Amino acid sequence: MKRRGRFPWFAYLVVVLGGVAMVMPFLDMVMSSFKGPGEYGVIPYRLLPSSFGLDNYREAFSQLELPRLFRNSVIVTVSVTVSVLITSALAGYALAKLRFRGRAVIFRFILATMMLPPFLLLIPTFLIMLNWPLAGGNDILGRGGDGGLTTSLLALILPFTVSGFGIFLMRQFMVSLPDEMLEAAKIDGANQWQTWRLIVLPQTKPVAITLGLITFIGTWNEYIWTLLISSSDPSLQTLPVGIQLLQSFLDPDRTMPIVMAGLVISTLPVLVVFLLFQKYYVRGVVLSGLK
Amino acid sequence: MTTAVSRVGAVAAPARRLGKLHREGRAAYLFLAPALLFFCVFLILPFIFAIVLAFSDWGGFDLGTLKWSGIGNFREVLSFDGTFVKPILVNTLLFAFGSVFLATFGSVLVAYCIDRLAFQGFWRVLYFLPVVATVVAIGNVWKMMYQPAGLINGVLNKLGVNSVGFLSDASYALPSVTVVHAWASIGGAVLILTAGLKAIPEMYYEAAEVDGANAWHLFWSITLPLLRPALLFVLITQFIGGLQSFALIIVMTGDGGPVNATNVAAFEMYQRAFKYGAWGTASAMAMVLFVIILAITLLQLWIARRRGEETS
Repeated sequence: MKRRGRFPWFAYLVVVLGGVAMVMPFLDMVMSSFKGPGEYGVIPYRLLPSSFGLDNYREAFSQLELPRLFRNSVIVTVSVTVSVLITSALAGYALAKLRFRGRAVIFRFILATMMLPPFLLLIPTFLIMLNWPLAGGNDILGRGGDGGLTTSLLALILPFTVSGFGIFLMRQFMVSLPDEMLEAAKIDGANQWQTWRLIVLPQTKPVAITLGLITFIGTWNEYIWTLLISSSDPSLQTLPVGIQLLQSFLDPDRTMPIVMAGLVISTLPVLVVFLLFQKYYVRGVVLSGLK
Repeated sequence: MTTAVSRVGAVAAPARRLGKLHREGRAAYLFLAPALLFFCVFLILPFIFAIVLAFSDWGGFDLGTLKWSGIGNFREVLSFDGTFVKPILVNTLLFAFGSVFLATFGSVLVAYCIDRLAFQGFWRVLYFLPVVATVVAIGNVWKMMYQPAGLINGVLNKLGVNSVGFLSDASYALPSVTVVHAWASIGGAVLILTAGLKAIPEMYYEAAEVDGANAWHLFWSITLPLLRPALLFVLITQFIGGLQSFALIIVMTGDGGPVNATNVAAFEMYQRAFKYGAWGTASAMAMVLFVIILAITLLQLWIARRRGEETS
């Protein structure tokens, strides 16, 4: 295109300088994760470590109990992602293709759910989890127990099982599916469930990948809620929280490089997934922005 | 939505069609049931609870001891003798305005420049990296880079400038975390603005060039006005994010220090609630912040609409 031919040197300068600012912190993270004792925190600053030994990574595995943190992260992330995908596809189908009383109201309600900022619901949601009936020793009225649901990984999963954004995304996509296809299924004798399961669901693959990816990355990186829930029960920590909190137990001079090694390990899965599917992720962000 | 099948049904037996619609309605609510149940338990209930808490005095966990206290919490929170209005709310606004300004300015510049280069996908992914990383990684890496022996002071020293206590000096701490927040949110904005740029028809530029407009004119009189919807979306979402985010501040400063210099409203709410168990005060803070976010969002929409009417 013609307009891209003009002044490209200025554009290159801006984008490359900005790009360096974007990448430098990650480069520093990786380099610091290899720095040995006496190498980190020394003036003058040096970017490169003297050698690329894996001591810090070994240390991270043992001191930070990475396997346990990893397991929790995977369980929570997979459960939330699967649940968001299923519930969004179900509700999105009803809102896009079924005729029923209250559809407009419910759709507007779903849009409104996205306006409520999470911090507003933090305190009441925590108290609800704490007083969850028949969990963690609570009676049917949610009293008397010791921690309610907050002592189980369910506490990290349940409040995220449905996403208003996910329903919205699915609905927008399903609206454009041809009605004839659904009518054909009905004529063949399929009920609503079969139509959804066999005809609609396979069609939603692209938007499902987008939504799955956004949910996966968001859940894997979730910090505040997990910090709160695991503050009384460290066995519930996920990777971000575990790495952040266990810093204080490490030898201060050696801390940062080991933490950086842990962070490299915990960032890698998300990075790989993102790079593999980045086209879908980009499209999802754009879709959410310019509806 | 009138389809072949239902038209046939309408002629043959209106009653059966009604029954079919009824069945479709039942199916719809079954499909919606998980979502609606969820929103009742994790949205409506907590929202009502949040409002009740903001107007009550309650310290423990036993609902029986909850006492109605009217606007007492709000009076306490908004009193100018306390720390919430100043410095905490002031910090919140500075943090949000600062990071929104930096991120918006940066992302418009970068998106506009990327649009003129080859390998656009590569560049966009590069700027998007921080969005993929956990706040713990971002916070710790920048904390490390801000140290006296860190990367940034290393560069400053090379240039002959004395080291700066980015996070330890109370006058630098808030700008320092603001920059990190802006850095982390540029990527998302670049994506949305790129989509906006791509939607501008090429012929507008060509026509303006024929009339002798230079690159600067093109940007000011074509790109920026036509980018307004995307820009508005970026501004609104960035403000909402900036006003409520505090994960970065927990990671980088631990307690909002030095001496409240980086303490923001949502973090103060978090601490009051979960460190001191002051549910009422904390909920009042949350309400105040919620109202501020709502007001700023509506204000932006109002300004955008007025501007839109003026030009059209």
